Amino acid sequence: MNPSTSDAYSLSVPAGLTLDRTGFLELYYFMALNRKLEERLGHLYRQGKVVGGLYSSLGQEACSVGSAYALERGDFLAPMIRNLGALMVRGVKPVDVMAQYCARAIGPTRGKDLNVHFGWVDRGLIAPISVVGALIPVMAGIALEMKMKSKPNVALTYIGDGGMSTTDFHEGMNFAGVHRLPFILIVENNGYAYSTPTSLQANVTDLVTRAPGYGAYGESVDGNNVLAVLDAVRRGRARCLAGEGPVMIEARTFRRKGHAEHDDAGYVPRALVAEWEKKDPLDAYRRYLLANHTVDSEQDIGEIDAKIAVILEDAANEALAAPFPDPSIARENVYG
Amino acid sequence: MADRQTVSAKKTHYVHTPDEKSKLDMLHFMKLTREIEDRIERKLYRQGRIVGGVYVGRGQEAISVGTAIHMEKDDVVAPSHRDMGVFLMRGITARRIIAQYMGRKTGLTRGRDGNMHMGDMNYNVIAFVSHLGDNVPVAAGAALAFKQRGEQRVALCYNGEGATSRGDWHEGINFASIHKLPVVFFINNNAYAYSTPMELQMAVADVAMRAPGYGIPGEVVDGNDILAVYDSAKRAIDRARSGAGPSIVEYKTFRMTGHSAHDDAGYVPPELFEEWKQKDPIVRLEQAMLEDGTVTQARLDAMQRECALMIDDAVDWAEKQPYPAGEDVTRDVYFEG
Repeated sequence: MNPSTSDAYSLSVPAGLTLDRTGFLELYYFMALNRKLEERLGHLYRQGKVVGGLYSSLGQEACSVGSAYALERGDFLAPMIRNLGALMVRGVKPVDVMAQYCARAIGPTRGKDLNVHFGWVDRGLIAPISVVGALIPVMAGIALEMKMKSKPNVALTYIGDGGMSTTDFHEGMNFAGVHRLPFILIVENNGYAYSTPTSLQANVTDLVTRAPGYGAYGESVDGNNVLAVLDAVRRGRARCLAGEGPVMIEARTFRRKGHAEHDDAGYVPRALVAEWEKKDPLDAYRRYLLANHTVDSEQDIGEIDAKIAVILEDAANEALAAPFPDPSIARENVYG
Repeated sequence: MADRQTVSAKKTHYVHTPDEKSKLDMLHFMKLTREIEDRIERKLYRQGRIVGGVYVGRGQEAISVGTAIHMEKDDVVAPSHRDMGVFLMRGITARRIIAQYMGRKTGLTRGRDGNMHMGDMNYNVIAFVSHLGDNVPVAAGAALAFKQRGEQRVALCYNGEGATSRGDWHEGINFASIHKLPVVFFINNNAYAYSTPMELQMAVADVAMRAPGYGIPGEVVDGNDILAVYDSAKRAIDRARSGAGPSIVEYKTFRMTGHSAHDDAGYVPPELFEEWKQKDPIVRLEQAMLEDGTVTQARLDAMQRECALMIDDAVDWAEKQPYPAGEDVTRDVYFEG
C-alpha cells in the first residue's frame, strides 16, 4: 500500500448516524459553498471591493455546517465570525453575504454594517456580537424562552478557545446550567485566539472539562469531521429537548489562516498549518463520499461544484452592481 | 437544600494539625470574631450607633481564622464580607474596626466608607471590593507580582458561593491557573447568596467541581471544623508557595444570620438554622480541647471575658473618636504625590 495513502486522514462515521443521500450531498454542498464563497470574498478583498475586514473559516467548515445541519425549524442559531457555513445552512444566500461584505444597499443591513454582522430573527438567526462571549447569555435567554413556553426547540451558538476566558461565557453557561436550558454551545477549539495559543488561554488542553462545572453535558469531537459534528449536535439536541440541560461540544479544529485577511499569522508554526492542511475537512469528506459510494460518482460532486461556481458568479455580479446605501438612510433603524 | 452542604467523608486524620498554642490562638480569634460581630450586629447597630449596614460571618469563624493563621508577614489577603477573623488575625485592632463601623476618623477608611469595606496595606489586607468576585483578579494580580519578582509570597482570596457565578471569578482563576500563580481561592459556601439558595446559584453540588476545568486542585472541606480548615488551608498555601500554582478550597458552612442586619432571612427554613447551630465551630473546638485536656472550663470562661473586655474597650475608645472633618472630603480621591 502506498504510505501516503495509508497515512491520509480519513473520516470515521459515528455509529448510529442516519443520513439519506440528499443529506450526504447537502453537507458537501454547504461545506463547498462555504469554502468557495470565502475564496471569492478573498478575491474581492484584494480588489478593494470589500469594505472592512475579512474573516476566514478555512479548515473549520465542518464545524459550522455539521452543527447547523443538525438543527430543526424553530431552533435559533447565532454565528460567530467563522461560521459562514452555518448561515448558508440556515438559508442565507451568497449574494446577501457579498453585498454585506461590500457594504451595498441590498445587503441584510442595507450597507450599514459589515461582514457577518447581521441577523434574521424571523429565520432564527441572531446577529453575532463583536464582543466575543456576549452571545452566550443572549442565546441562554432565548433558550429560557423556549423552556418557559415549552417549545420543542434549542438555541445554539459558538465560542472559540479564546472566548471561553470571558466573563460572559461563565455567567451564561452557569445560568443555562442552573435552569436546565435547551442550549448548545459549540466550542471551536481552533488553536489560536488571534495570536494567543490555547496553551496561554487555558490551563487545560480539553476545554470540555469545563462542562461538568456548569452541570452541562460535555463531549469532544473531531471538528474536521462533519459527520461527527452533525451526530454530536443531533444527540445534544435530543438531550436538550429531554430537559437534561445544556450541552457543550468541543470541536477540535485549526484556524489555517490569520485572525483576519490582513494577518499573515507569522506567529503560527508552519508545520502546524501543514499538519492541519492534511486534515482538510472538505477534502476528507469528498474522499469519504467517493470511497464509500455514498454518492453515485464523481459526477455528482462535479455537478455541485459547477452549480456553486455559477451561484457565486451570479452573486458577485448582483452584489457589485448594487448601489451603496444612500446617506439619507443613516438614521433609519437606529431605534425601534 | 441542606444535604448539599454536607461533606461526604468525615476526616479523622489530617496532614497538618495545630500545636497547643495554635489551637489556643485559633480559639481566641474565633471568640473575638464572634464577640465583635455580635456586639456590632446585636447591640450597636440596633442602638443606632453604627453608620450603614452590617454583614457578619456568625457560624463561619473557623474559615477566616483557620486559613489566615498560616499567613506569613509578607503574604497578602483579599477578604470578602464575612471574613472578620482575617482582619483581626492580621493585627488590625478591634478599636479601629469599631471606629470604622461608627464612621469615625480613626477607622480604617477614616470615616469615608462603612462596615466591611475596609483594608489596610500596612497589614497586607486588600480592601474588600463591594462587587463580589472582583477581588479574584486583584488577588491574582498580586500573586503575579510575587511570581515575577521571585518572591516566596502568597495571596489568599475569599469568596462566597454566590460570587462564583460572576465573570470576574472565572477570569481571575483562569488567569491564575494559566500562569501558575501563588494564590489560593477559598470559598465560604454558606448555602445562601442573600436569598438565593445553592440550587438556584449553580447546577452542581460543589463549587470545587469547577477546579478541573482550570486544571487545578479543588477540595471540599467541612468549614465548621477548624482542624479540617487548618489542614486543608496549610496544604493549599504550601502548594502555592512552592510554585505549583493555585487551588480552590471550598468550605461548606452556613450563614447563621440574614444577609445583613436588616434581613430576617425569613426565606431560610428554620430547621436549617437549628441543624447548623449544632455544628457551631467555636463549640466544636472548645469541646475537642476540653476532651484532650488543652483547656479547662475556667480557662474558656476567662478567654470569653477577655474578648468581651477587649470589645468593651474598643467601643469606648471608638465612641470618643471624632467624625471626619467636612473639608477633608476631597482628600485621597486622587493621588496627590
